[in-house]
Amino acid sequence: MRYDVTCKQAGLSALFDLKGPQADLWGWAGDHLPPMPARPNSLTRRGGRSLYHIGPRHLLLRTGIAEEEALERALGPAAAPPQISIVRISDTLTFFAVTGRDADQVMAIACPLDLHPAVFGADAVSHTEAFGLKAMVLRCEGGFECAVEQSHGDMMQDYLNRALT
Amino acid sequence: MLLIPCPFCGPRNESEFAHGGPVRARRPDPDAVSDAAWVEYLTVTPNPQGPVQEHWWHVRGCGTWLTLWRDTTSHDIVKGPDDA
Amino acid sequence: MRERLPQGGRIDRSRRVAFTFNGRVYDGYHGDTLASALLAHGVRLTARSFKYHRPRGIVGYGVEEPASLVELLGADASGNEPITTVRIRDGLRAKSVNCWPSLRFDIGGVNQLFARVLPAGFYYKTFKWPDWQLFEPMIRRAAGLARAPTQPPANGHYEARHAHADVFIAGAGPAGLMAALVAGRAGKRVFLADEGTEAGGGLLTRRLRIEDRPAMEWVADAVAELAAMEHVTHLQNASVWAYREHNLMMVTERSPDHDSLLERSWRVRAGRVICATGAIERLLVFPGNDRPGVMLASAAQAYVNRWAVRPGRRAVVFTNNNSAYAVAADMQAAGIEIAAIVDARPQVPPEALAQVAGIDVLGGHVVVRTRGRMSLRSIAISPLAGGATRSIACDLLAHSGGWNPAVHLFSQSRGSLRYDETLAAFVPDIPAQATASVGAAAGLMTLPEVLTSAAATGGDVPRAHEAAYAIAPLWRVQAAGKAFLDIQNDVTVADVQLALREGYDNIEHVKRYTTGGMGIDQGKTGNINIIGTVAQQKGLTLPEVGSTTFRSPYAPVSFGAVGGLRTGEVQFPYRHTPITEWNREQGAVMYEAGARWQRPGYFPQPGESFQETVNRECGAVREAVGVYDGSPLGTFELKGRDTGRFLDFLYTNKMANLKPGHGRYGLMLTDDGLILDDGVALRLDDYRWILSTSTGHADAVNQQMEKLLQTEFPDWQVMVTAVTSQWNNATVCGPRAREVMEALGTDINLDNAAFPFMTFRDGTVAGLPTRVVRVSFTGELSYEINVAPRHMRKLWDRVMAAGAPFGIQPVGSEANHVLRVEKGFLSLGHEVDGTVDPHDLGMGWIMSAKKSDYLGKRAVALRRAADKPRRELVGLLPDDPNAQIPEGAPLTPGGRKEATEGLVTACVWSGVNNRWVALALLVNGRTRQGETVHVRLRDEVIAARVTAPVFYDPGGQRLRS
Repeated sequence: MRYDVTCKQAGLSALFDLKGPQADLWGWAGDHLPPMPARPNSLTRRGGRSLYHIGPRHLLLRTGIAEEEALERALGPAAAPPQISIVRISDTLTFFAVTGRDADQVMAIACPLDLHPAVFGADAVSHTEAFGLKAMVLRCEGGFECAVEQSHGDMMQDYLNRALT
Repeated sequence: MLLIPCPFCGPRNESEFAHGGPVRARRPDPDAVSDAAWVEYLTVTPNPQGPVQEHWWHVRGCGTWLTLWRDTTSHDIVKGPDDA
Repeated sequence: MRERLPQGGRIDRSRRVAFTFNGRVYDGYHGDTLASALLAHGVRLTARSFKYHRPRGIVGYGVEEPASLVELLGADASGNEPITTVRIRDGLRAKSVNCWPSLRFDIGGVNQLFARVLPAGFYYKTFKWPDWQLFEPMIRRAAGLARAPTQPPANGHYEARHAHADVFIAGAGPAGLMAALVAGRAGKRVFLADEGTEAGGGLLTRRLRIEDRPAMEWVADAVAELAAMEHVTHLQNASVWAYREHNLMMVTERSPDHDSLLERSWRVRAGRVICATGAIERLLVFPGNDRPGVMLASAAQAYVNRWAVRPGRRAVVFTNNNSAYAVAADMQAAGIEIAAIVDARPQVPPEALAQVAGIDVLGGHVVVRTRGRMSLRSIAISPLAGGATRSIACDLLAHSGGWNPAVHLFSQSRGSLRYDETLAAFVPDIPAQATASVGAAAGLMTLPEVLTSAAATGGDVPRAHEAAYAIAPLWRVQAAGKAFLDIQNDVTVADVQLALREGYDNIEHVKRYTTGGMGIDQGKTGNINIIGTVAQQKGLTLPEVGSTTFRSPYAPVSFGAVGGLRTGEVQFPYRHTPITEWNREQGAVMYEAGARWQRPGYFPQPGESFQETVNRECGAVREAVGVYDGSPLGTFELKGRDTGRFLDFLYTNKMANLKPGHGRYGLMLTDDGLILDDGVALRLDDYRWILSTSTGHADAVNQQMEKLLQTEFPDWQVMVTAVTSQWNNATVCGPRAREVMEALGTDINLDNAAFPFMTFRDGTVAGLPTRVVRVSFTGELSYEINVAPRHMRKLWDRVMAAGAPFGIQPVGSEANHVLRVEKGFLSLGHEVDGTVDPHDLGMGWIMSAKKSDYLGKRAVALRRAADKPRRELVGLLPDDPNAQIPEGAPLTPGGRKEATEGLVTACVWSGVNNRWVALALLVNGRTRQGETVHVRLRDEVIAARVTAPVFYDPGGQRLRS
């Protein structure tokens, strides 16, 4: 028996790193953001955009790459007030989709985090480790998405290939 | 492999953290203390046999710098960052 | 298989298996272990002992086996596996460990020789001998265990996994299964791991009944019920080998159900841990208790019941407790003649006697001797109170010294142990973590008690019956001859007595001095007898002597399983840029160059030597143009009202007054005055900055910034975002760099006045959105063209194409090193170590005098106030221009064998100077320019003249051109 899993490297997403007090972020860019996720390490979605609450006063806004330029213009990083930080980081992460019947087993090799559905639900997102690398993990259709720093993308692929051999 | 309570993420594997060393005395104003006091600040690090307050950085998690009390004889976390 | 019983056993007689042991081919059945299959053939001699090379046989039936360890050969090469835990399969090849010179080699001479050479503490004593080397080869060969495999496994790989559970249960015997049923029925996430090939634990080897049915039927039902629960993970062939802090359990699963997996290790974090690890029978200690044919009673019972094998034809049972009576009954039922039961207790309890009607029971007797050269032929017994000995012919002696709860995991969890007088054993006392022990592991020795304790949290307890357990401890039989306390480590009663005589009377010292209880055995069968012997000798009680610490691993674990997938290229992390693939296509020699980045060292062309390649690349940069991939440099975006103030604290020089569009070189120290990093800060606008750090120290700088902002200055408004992988760059450098930029096409005004050194511009280059920075790490006119990684390969290709007419060359890190040495630019790790401050490097100018405080200021000032001579950065020109100085070489006065006065930090062939040039740290170097100093090497002394640490364009006109 081998793992029934497909691992695919995904293309770029538009990603914006948002930092600062919630009120200031919403005061500046609230119109462009899905609602504030209720809990730490959870996400919300609206109109193709998703918002990840990944740290204290730290959010990640993600949408399709086609929307990147327009969204950046709307968010206005250069003009934003000093108490908030908006940085385009689309290229910093390489996303992998790990899907299939045994996706949870392959993720258990990669990741020390408890990804059981009762603990890590449909709206969960968190930074943790994958194969010893810093990684962001969330659920997707039929499995998990796992993002590592772009320079580690080849290594992640290497590890996944080994896991699936 | 410790299980470290992160105030943002909850309990996480030690491997997600970087040890930030024991919590030391606050940095004095260098223009207001004697040489001896400054050297003391730079060189004296708490190293008890028993509970020690220390920094941990959740570098592979949410990025929080937290402090907790860990017993150096048992690895028990005797007081977490959120404990009163 | 002449000793195989005609029916019974948990083996599949329809599946014959052929295997090789010590070069001979045997057969067995599916379900056999190496031990049961060899016993079925009447093989008695299976090992040589660790120190004395005494003949040894099979003593146990599971992980407790102390005597016979095997090495597996061929594709599954591995060492030190107990013979009782290796399942046979077709093609398996195994050999005994410790069988040098050979298993059947005459024992007499060797035995005596080793007994003299290897008393207790022999390592400590022999290490002191002046002629240790005479004995070392023999001792090493004799005292080694199996050899490590020389090759990775031919087929398959290892895997390591994480898991999480509400309840982790170690052991799937009656206690573990009962606990799993209770927790599973309550909806808890359960992780149940058991080292055996199938569940059942002690029930597999005994004839007990639960709910008026054979107990194994209850086991089958329990296993089926657990299998139907989605929230229960149940593993067999899975040893729980360590209980770590915060309820982390280490498990190794052999033969997982996966095509290419050899073993899988699990790291399980549990809310609660239940130790249902059962109990291990212990040895009785009497002369000759290690002879092949002397076996634990529980093992004899297991071979008869579980594997349908007769371990002997005529047996004596020797015991001090009730449990061996069921063994005698089971052996008799299997057709083994029971010559006698020898019980050290003068009064044998009636519930024991009731099980063995018709067998001769000799109460108050002990075994004082065993005979038989390679295998047992007879024993001698005598009354415990003294009196005539008599001999009994037998080929099997099944003995039982009582039962030790398997407290290893509980003890590893730092739980304390308590001596239980009734059981004459140590039992779990106060837990240190969220753990509970149930069943025999908690000292409950009969099935009804076991099931009741395991069901503690609720649920119906199935009905069962078992005769009461009772024991009268017998720590050793007082009689002449070698009596073994620890069979694996060859520790005898005499060794313990010697240790005590020599003053090692703490039990932990006894352990280290005799090695008893060490090794892969970890005192499973013998530890308590050592404690008992020490207690007897010193006139103490067992609790007064105490027990030693049980250490992990509980059972042998392969390194492969611990490492999992982390092997080969992924043993350490590696990082690539979008140009890595291009570099490889060009035949670049790649290696790691800081922070795990794989970078091109140099780009050799056919027929070129290393030096020719580096010279060519340097020449291109100095005379025309070169390009390198600067992507690995650490990059951070900082935002907030207090960023300028923060940077002023972080850097030694003033940053807050930098104007938007400009950059400034800066140096960072730690607060104890060591150099942390050098880099460039760029100001984007009032509140936004970009920090560029060295590749190797990006993480350290990030940590420094976050620690300060979160712990020291939480009120300061500064937000840090790592953008190292948002910005790649191609750095075009050389006198013709501007022409290449023009050829690429850009909307940025490249005129030197409009876009001078240490400024940056956002714009389009070669049709791509860029930020171009005028910094220089080579000393030449340079444009660092920053783009998003998605554009990097396009940019690179366009630079190579646009630069071709100007002779552009890709430049590796070797040439970069030469170029920076020629300029005297510092390199962390070369010129900077833990002793050097900025003044020593001639960079006093960067230590702001205006700022009252910044990191490291006071520490550097304090150190310099001592006014001791300092090692200062200088240049060196070897008197012989063709003399290369090894990097790191020491400088001594006159090249004599004296204290060093410095060291060479870098030495390169400088094409522009047509000679070797070097940088060095030299005591009071700055005042010694023009002097001749000497590099002292093993075979030669190299004289060199001291110069300023810059060999090219000292005024810096070229990089500003």
